[in-house]
Amino acid sequence: MSEADYQVPAVDPQRAKNRHTISAIFRVACMLVAVQAVVILIVLLTTVFVRGVDQLSWDFLTGVHRDDNPDGSGLWPAIIGSIVICLICGAAALPIGIGTAIFLEEFKPRNKALAILHNLVQLNITNLAGVPSIVYGILGLTAFVYMFGLFGTYEANKAADLEFGAQRYYQVRTAAKTFVWIPVTDKTLRVLEIEEPIAARYPDGGDFTLNVIDRGATKPTDPTVLGQTVYRGSKASIFAKHPWHYLRLPFHKSVLSAGLTLALVVLPIVIISSQESIRAVPDTMRDAGLGLGCTRWQMVRTIVLPASIPGIMTGAILAMSRAVGEAAPLLAVMGGVVGKRNAPENLMDNAAAMPITIYNWARDDNPGFWELSATAIIVLLCLLLTMNSIAILLRYWAEKKFASR
Amino acid sequence: MRQTFGRTTLTAMLCIGFLTVAGCGSKKSGGDSDAGGPVVSDGEAVSQLTGKIAVEGSSTVSPITTQAKERFNEQHPDVTISITGEGTSNGFKSFAKKETDIQDASRPIKQKELDTCNENGMEFIEVPVAYDGLTIAVHPKNKFVKSLTVDQLKKIFRSGDSAKTWKEVDPQWPDKKISIFSPGTGSGTYDYFSEVVIGKEGSLRDDNQINLNEDDNILVRGVAGDEFAIGYFGYSYYDRNKNDLQAVPIINPAGEAVLPTAETIESGEYAPFSRPLFIYLNSESLDKVEVEIFVESYMTNIREIVAAANYVPLPESVYTAATHNIENRVAGTHYLTAEGEKREGSIINVFKPENLKK
Repeated sequence: MSEADYQVPAVDPQRAKNRHTISAIFRVACMLVAVQAVVILIVLLTTVFVRGVDQLSWDFLTGVHRDDNPDGSGLWPAIIGSIVICLICGAAALPIGIGTAIFLEEFKPRNKALAILHNLVQLNITNLAGVPSIVYGILGLTAFVYMFGLFGTYEANKAADLEFGAQRYYQVRTAAKTFVWIPVTDKTLRVLEIEEPIAARYPDGGDFTLNVIDRGATKPTDPTVLGQTVYRGSKASIFAKHPWHYLRLPFHKSVLSAGLTLALVVLPIVIISSQESIRAVPDTMRDAGLGLGCTRWQMVRTIVLPASIPGIMTGAILAMSRAVGEAAPLLAVMGGVVGKRNAPENLMDNAAAMPITIYNWARDDNPGFWELSATAIIVLLCLLLTMNSIAILLRYWAEKKFASR
Repeated sequence: MRQTFGRTTLTAMLCIGFLTVAGCGSKKSGGDSDAGGPVVSDGEAVSQLTGKIAVEGSSTVSPITTQAKERFNEQHPDVTISITGEGTSNGFKSFAKKETDIQDASRPIKQKELDTCNENGMEFIEVPVAYDGLTIAVHPKNKFVKSLTVDQLKKIFRSGDSAKTWKEVDPQWPDKKISIFSPGTGSGTYDYFSEVVIGKEGSLRDDNQINLNEDDNILVRGVAGDEFAIGYFGYSYYDRNKNDLQAVPIINPAGEAVLPTAETIESGEYAPFSRPLFIYLNSESLDKVEVEIFVESYMTNIREIVAAANYVPLPESVYTAATHNIENRVAGTHYLTAEGEKREGSIINVFKPENLKK
């Protein structure tokens, strides 16, 4: 098009004015909407902060929940519980999610039937991202807690048929009203009546032989000996010490079930965000790699993954942040555990979690706990911000690595 | 060039590896951190008793068991007791499957639940722990309801011909919609109320004027927030929220209007809404030292525990009989007849060895 052909359109001052007015109105409207969102957020955070900051103390962070005593209550078990659940969730969801994304993006099948299957998987994942988390909660209840009833049922007083790593002892009350342990040889024998002296050990270590005396006989006066003596016919009952790697089937109401259920919740998010950052890698780079004779896997490993890692990690952290704050699936899978006094001891143990603790404190009929729930929210937000800042740092570092090449 | 490729690959793999390994590695530290948990020690030696006790069931009874737990844990901090209050019926489901050690119940076991227990070989010991006066509450500003008869309650709560407004219950009362707050269907309180008020030939209304919730605190808030509301729940929840609620005197069979108080509940004047509360003990669990000692301390301090939870203690003779049953592992319920009907009457007459049924 030459310059002579080009006609400058006639200017209609009235129309121009209208256009500018509309533009100005739209800008103001946009600003109002944005300001409104920020104001609501600020009001919310300020009220939470004002209500909760007074009780924020070292004691609160290291204490445990005590019923009817808000001043003495703390959040320690819930903090650790939440972190453990989140780590299990990450360990399960991230490798599977990122692997799935790589497969869907980089290894598209050429065969007609497989291509249809591929599209079907893709469609399902996109839809699953919108499924409410409580639905995953019910799924987790069937799949992880009860395992479709395939491995028998859980009972409070029965060793699981399929278990790994439990150490069992009998515990018995001595004449000194202390408790000592006796190693177990046959785990189906739940109660041991002590008639003969037997090898025993103190809970904090140290072996000795347990003496037996008759009821009514004169008791030894030395407290140490008394602590190594039981009455004839005393019943020692079995209990299990579970190391951190203890496993049993079905998982029942445990942190492992909770973590895996949350992994299901965040899996679609991880997959979709990873797919997007993989898609953002320009095709020219892929072609360059393939042109130099890389196999498809070498190309993915050396070119696509390093370039997309920052985006993948951002998605992963966003998913983890969502997992930390989810309450509904946890309620379905673990029940509303509140009064737990310690962190989960192993994967089969249940745990208190922050969202559930906040929910229970906020509806407690003791008003002291309402303030505490605000404090717990502050702690939860701090945890989220910490996670997000780590993510931003990692991302920055990864981007710099990639840009410098 | 190839070298830089290699290094970036390495870092990329390390990133993913780090996230995964962090997951595995820290789970270990989570496992070790139980030693880092707080240890309650106020100078006196705490015992090294250890173990786990699972309690489920009624939200009306859970305050009592929670008081027992708090006391017990001061002495035995290593015993983990988890208590959830999701309703008597919901609790019995887990209890019959032997998933729990102790079941809190705001009503006696039903024949159907007993059958499930027998199918699973579940033996249990029935222990009454306290009296509760099921409290009917209205908003404190409600000046027109002076008292209610059981028939009036039936008019309000029964499905079918239920009253939409207060005026339909009593012509003197205002023409305002009644909003009703009731525990959920999984709750023993719901069962008890509908049995007393409606009996077997009807059911509780189920329309848009009734709000069902398993959480008693929400019921309390609901009644406290609506001038024309009515609701019912355990006495303990009323007692702790006296400033926001008004209890309604109920006309008892003798024709007197009686308010729920510790005295009227204990004397039986507050009728027909005085009821016993129970805990059911899994017989197998009583073989466990930790459960045995917990139940022992529960029964030894029962009066203080019940008072601390704002309920009313039972007669001493009932506690003595219950303790005897626990010590001798006398399993079964006293509240069902041979035909599977619920046994009616005062607890002193019902809780007798000859009424025991397995």
